[in-house]
Amino acid sequence: MTTQTVDTPTPTATPRRSLSERLGNELRLLPVALGLLALWLFFATQSDVFLTSRNINNLLVQSTVTGIIALGLVFVLLVGEIDLSVAATSGISAVLMAKGVVDFGLPVPLAIALGIGLGVLIGAASGRWVTLIGVPSFVVTLGVGLVLNGGQLLMLPNTGRYNLLDTGVETLAGTFVSGPLAWVLVMFGIAGMLVLKLADLRERRAQGLDAPLMGTVIVPVGGVALGLAAVTLFLDQQRGLPMPLILFAVLLGVMSYVAGQTRFGLYLYAIGANAEAARRAGVKVDRIKITAFAIAGGLAAFGGILAASRILGVSVSSGGGVGGGALLLESIAAAVIGGVSLFGGRGRVIGALFGALIIATVSNGLNLMGVANEARLIVTGLLLVFAVSIDRGIERLAGPG
Amino acid sequence: MTDRQTQPILSLRGISKSFGGVRALSDVSIDLTPGKVVALVGDNGAGKSTLVKTMSGVLRPDRGQYFFEGREVHPAGPAAVAEMGVQTVYQDLALCNNLDAVQNLFLGRELTGPWYSAGRIRRAEAERRARDVLRRLRLDGISLTRNVGAMSGGQRQNIAIARSILWEPKVVLLDEPTAALSHSAAAQVGDLVRELASHGLAVLVISHDIHHFVLDNTDVIEVLRLGRNAGRFDSKAVTGEQVVNAMVGGDAAVNAAG
Repeated sequence: MTTQTVDTPTPTATPRRSLSERLGNELRLLPVALGLLALWLFFATQSDVFLTSRNINNLLVQSTVTGIIALGLVFVLLVGEIDLSVAATSGISAVLMAKGVVDFGLPVPLAIALGIGLGVLIGAASGRWVTLIGVPSFVVTLGVGLVLNGGQLLMLPNTGRYNLLDTGVETLAGTFVSGPLAWVLVMFGIAGMLVLKLADLRERRAQGLDAPLMGTVIVPVGGVALGLAAVTLFLDQQRGLPMPLILFAVLLGVMSYVAGQTRFGLYLYAIGANAEAARRAGVKVDRIKITAFAIAGGLAAFGGILAASRILGVSVSSGGGVGGGALLLESIAAAVIGGVSLFGGRGRVIGALFGALIIATVSNGLNLMGVANEARLIVTGLLLVFAVSIDRGIERLAGPG
Repeated sequence: MTDRQTQPILSLRGISKSFGGVRALSDVSIDLTPGKVVALVGDNGAGKSTLVKTMSGVLRPDRGQYFFEGREVHPAGPAAVAEMGVQTVYQDLALCNNLDAVQNLFLGRELTGPWYSAGRIRRAEAERRARDVLRRLRLDGISLTRNVGAMSGGQRQNIAIARSILWEPKVVLLDEPTAALSHSAAAQVGDLVRELASHGLAVLVISHDIHHFVLDNTDVIEVLRLGRNAGRFDSKAVTGEQVVNAMVGGDAAVNAAG
């Protein structure tokens, strides 16, 4: 079927698009958002504790480590690759950070920077290997992950654990921002987004393009502002905004900009769809891919450091243990449930938030209901298959008419 | 012979090219003139693709001369040819299905903001320029903001062609633009091809579709057979049968001689 819209004299013809096509694009997150809402409603009816400020705080903090690792994975998935070493990267980077603080007495910020640097380096090296030899990334990163697991064991002391209590590292995850300062932070974020959207609006009008104030500025900024305000209002009843959540939000904002507004971001999508076309158009495909892997490595390292700060130490099981365990699987699941295609080129950064929230919600809610761990795994697994199936279905429907 | 008010902008003279022991082109000549559409037709293995690849700088001929704007040139490669103002649209289109028309048109040549924006794409300006180009080519029916993966084959082909002329080349080479298209979609591409010529571009189109595309949308038909020039016709004064005869060598005289 061809779309017959030739006779419309409008400057930029906008053919009526089917729901499936829109679900494949700007409404891509709608099914996930509805699913998340349904889960929250369900658990709210099952447990009186679920919707308390304290529990929501727990749930959000639980989602941050998975979410930050998933956020980095999004970049690698967009170019059509995968990184199975992110959990191991998070583990070894956290151990390096802890070793620096405990054994060498490094200042905490420096140790953290070292850990993140290691993650970036690991990611870039995997990316270089993948692009240089053309070995599939899942094989390269599977191997790299095992190597890192071994390195992590070597770096740990005989006790198998570094204790981070009273080293200063614990303040990273243990700090709360409350009261007026929390609101200043929120306003700052909203103002940043508003400035960008207003610049969009001004530029479009200067070029004589249609730019409705409602759709370009008010709806997106208003939506984000409402969400942030609701969370802040709710959490401020207790201890305020937990630092991990603030950091996750900042990273989401920055990475959304990078993937959605910049040339680098566009090239991620172009490579994921048609690497050969991108190469012929002059895109340095290898360099972009290596950068994507480096971002994934750096964010994984940061996620691992955050986890270490939360549980006050690193051990053999940091980074999900050997093979990555639940941490690896949940990070990949979060990105995929959030609508990021495993086949490359489709999905948005914000999907990492939704995916991580769904996984944390299932885990948190079932815990409150007193359901055993095995049921939690089964539900999470089914959710993953279900989410990917919906996604695949939409993609098929949205193909050429 | 066709009438020529203007000088050819791109001419190949006496081009020969062999691959190992196989002679793909023998002493072939062709002229492209501003404002004219030349159809390059011939059977499989007649040398059409080899000739286009020679023009686009992908292949270097063994013998023969390449004239551009009246001067002999020795193009170093595809980039040098594109630099001269000769764009080629290959059959696979090289579009990214998950990007919209604007993003595809500017792929690799994005307009970006100042350094502190970390390479922010100046979307509004790109969109306005894309709109202007599509309007000029009478392609208003193409949505700027829809993913090209959801578009029809004819629209996708036209976006690929529009991309090639975004930076105002003088010559456009189209490798089988109608190969995978329905008749109505091929007609859309035909409209665009004539539109390009009316803007003063020299256009070369490889096509197998003599009856539904070549006769209606081109000015000159250049026939290749077994790597040699096998006839040049005025599209308005020739029948499809004559063209096909020249392609396959089915002409009575040729048969008698052979």
